[in-house]
Amino acid sequence: MTERRTLDLSGLPPYDISSQSPLFWGQVLMCVIEGTLFCMMIATYFYLRLGVDVWPGPGIRPPDLTLSSWALVPLLASCGGSYLASEAAKKNSRSGMLLGLSINLGLAFVFLVLRGIAWKSLNFTWASNAHGSIVWAILFLHSYDIVADVIMTIVLFIIVASGQYGPRQRIGVHVDSVLWYFLVGIWIPLYVVVYWGPRLIGGGR
Amino acid sequence: MTPAASEQHAYADVDVLRRTWSSKPGLMGWLSSINHQEIGRRYILTAFFFLLVGGLEALLMRLQLARPENTFLSAGRYNQIFTLHGTTMMFLFAVPVMEGMGVYLVPLMVGTRNVAFPRLNAFGYWIYLAGGLFLYGCVFFNMIPDAGWFAYPPLSGPQFSPGKGVDAWAQMITFTEISALCVSVELVVTILKMRAPGMSLSRMPMFCWSMLVQSFMIIFAMPAVMMASTVFLLNDRTLGTHFVNPAEGGDPLLYQHVFWFFGHPEVYIIFLPALGMISSILETHTRRHIFGYPALVLSLVGNGFIAFGLWVHHMFATGLPQIGEAYFTAASMMIAITSGVQIFCWLATLWSGRLQPTTAVHFVFGFIFIFVMGGMTGVILASIPLDLQTHDTFFVVAHFHYVLIGGALFPLFGAFHYWFPKLTGRMIDERLGKLSFWILFVGFNLTFFPMHWLGVVGMTRRVYTYIPGLGWGPANLMATTGAFLILLGGIIFISNALRSRTAGARAGNDPWEASTLEWEAESPPAPYNFANLPVVTSRTPLWTPLAERPIVIGMREDRREILITNVLDAEPHHRSVQPRPTLWPMLTALGFAIGLAGSIFAFSWYYVASVLGMIGLIGWFWPERPLRVDP
Repeated sequence: MTERRTLDLSGLPPYDISSQSPLFWGQVLMCVIEGTLFCMMIATYFYLRLGVDVWPGPGIRPPDLTLSSWALVPLLASCGGSYLASEAAKKNSRSGMLLGLSINLGLAFVFLVLRGIAWKSLNFTWASNAHGSIVWAILFLHSYDIVADVIMTIVLFIIVASGQYGPRQRIGVHVDSVLWYFLVGIWIPLYVVVYWGPRLIGGGR
Repeated sequence: MTPAASEQHAYADVDVLRRTWSSKPGLMGWLSSINHQEIGRRYILTAFFFLLVGGLEALLMRLQLARPENTFLSAGRYNQIFTLHGTTMMFLFAVPVMEGMGVYLVPLMVGTRNVAFPRLNAFGYWIYLAGGLFLYGCVFFNMIPDAGWFAYPPLSGPQFSPGKGVDAWAQMITFTEISALCVSVELVVTILKMRAPGMSLSRMPMFCWSMLVQSFMIIFAMPAVMMASTVFLLNDRTLGTHFVNPAEGGDPLLYQHVFWFFGHPEVYIIFLPALGMISSILETHTRRHIFGYPALVLSLVGNGFIAFGLWVHHMFATGLPQIGEAYFTAASMMIAITSGVQIFCWLATLWSGRLQPTTAVHFVFGFIFIFVMGGMTGVILASIPLDLQTHDTFFVVAHFHYVLIGGALFPLFGAFHYWFPKLTGRMIDERLGKLSFWILFVGFNLTFFPMHWLGVVGMTRRVYTYIPGLGWGPANLMATTGAFLILLGGIIFISNALRSRTAGARAGNDPWEASTLEWEAESPPAPYNFANLPVVTSRTPLWTPLAERPIVIGMREDRREILITNVLDAEPHHRSVQPRPTLWPMLTALGFAIGLAGSIFAFSWYYVASVLGMIGLIGWFWPERPLRVDP
């Protein structure tokens, strides 16, 4: 066998908690997939609007603006918790991760309660008309994602609190934050469409 | 940081590597395997099984149409069979088989040990298998879809398609799309972050480029079909939403837009990997660098973009505004430019190389002939006046079989012959291979060429029979004869593969003297792929003298360590440890499958899917053991 030249990589770090990590890239791509789905929903909203004279439909109240707007406050603030947690994950600070995840979970919970109340105040369902179908679909899918991420965050919290974690779980905390930023970020255009849509492009012809 | 190459001599301990990277033995090992070769093989075998099923369905249709007023199949049964045929071929064969080839080949080609997310990879396969079993399980309970493979409402709506067949169709899509999305995410990350040191983007094999573009296309296209089939159609049918119900403000055309926003890119999702396969086969068999590498890469990327701007050409007959239609005609013709550039690059490669006419090359020539034919009828169909005349006729059936079978199946069969030695360690019989090619080639043209004419003289697609005296009988009989020739070619192909698997000559690592890294691995590759990870110094690494190609040392062999490199230049960045095999991906897929299958009966089953899926995910992500931080 011929002598091969070699490249010694034993000096490379054994893990990395940053945007270089494969899991970070995987999470970003998952967000792109989900984002595409939400974009399709926004396009559907406007497409359906074009097809009818009266929007959101006779006898249907536009979704309540006040509560849903106030709900943005805890939602946006919850990103601060995610940021704390992901920075703490990079520095391997257990208390920092627990603090950040608690802030994130607490504010997410407040947001979910406000969303629940706002949702209950709708005077239409998915079966009322096409407007109802698309609004419920947007609210359902986004809430589903939020709840799923909250459950995964709780699981991460338990793992970190138990102390049985390593680099892979710290990367998990980091990418969990990335997902949360996405879910918060995508809600801004969705909020504008669902709550401002009937007021800006609604009405009857 | 990039450590300098040194002169020390330290080869890997392959026994330790084998212990670390092998799957567990026995049934549990089989179910928990996360090795990309095993998963890739399963994808390919399962997809070929569905190809057989879809092919038999095609034969049933051809038997029915062989003569006028035939009574072999009833009208209803015929509807079910063409729906199953299209659905099977598109969702259960074409996309998964390309994914399987990518899963098997990409890690070997970029010089790494596994895909980026091995457990996601296993999950993707199981959910795909579950989707196929779900659809055909429903068939046995007589819940058979019959509204065509694209299930347009209002035909597919609750009013005109009662029963559960269309629901089964709609939810089967969810299974296969989740699977495709899993594979695309892991392939993008494998290609961008796990290439061998030195394999900059400009040195990446063409097949990897094609899988990269294809994966991004899946990421942007597949959500649209889940939107159409699940959010619109299934919810309208089972939950009472009104997305496509015009009486309550919905619009059936919305379904067509969203479906074809997926459906057109889908064609390129199937076709792009085939382009990569052709480039690989031609480079090896002409003994020269592929001609026009930058032009080929740009054309692939261009195809990826343009493919998203074509969908309305499936809807020219729906009465859309003409200015919009004109735009889509222009875009549809534009894709002939990027496709044409590739054809010319391959012709130039052939022209200036020393060609070895193996079976794989035969299939590539078959591709060029058939695909160019299909491309030309495509340009015809892109023109609105001609499209309006031939819409929903057998002309369209002929066109898309020329582009799909010519553009994807022939290259795939070529690729199968080309990579067979790598997959099995044995050479495939060339004589039988060429025989099967000629029979398939003649059979294909005999089947589908007459359909052009049938369409032009007025035979619409999806009719279960026709009256005598129209003069359509001979052409239809010819097509049916051709279909049986295709069957014969398929039988020879399968028996050749089965026989060569055990009786073929031993292949060795690199029987074709090819240029890309997968041929440096053993045939079939060891579970760790490469004893020492390779370093790449050129676009054709295996044609570079051994002395100029360093190998990586210093990676740990006692755990599943892989190398992460940066996106553009593939400079080593850090090492990363992959998870071990586990049953959780299979169990998670099972949980989702139970819930999704139930959801065609009641929406509440989605909650079952969510709870079971979440339990699966928690098990999947739960720390395996207290992890050590030491290097």
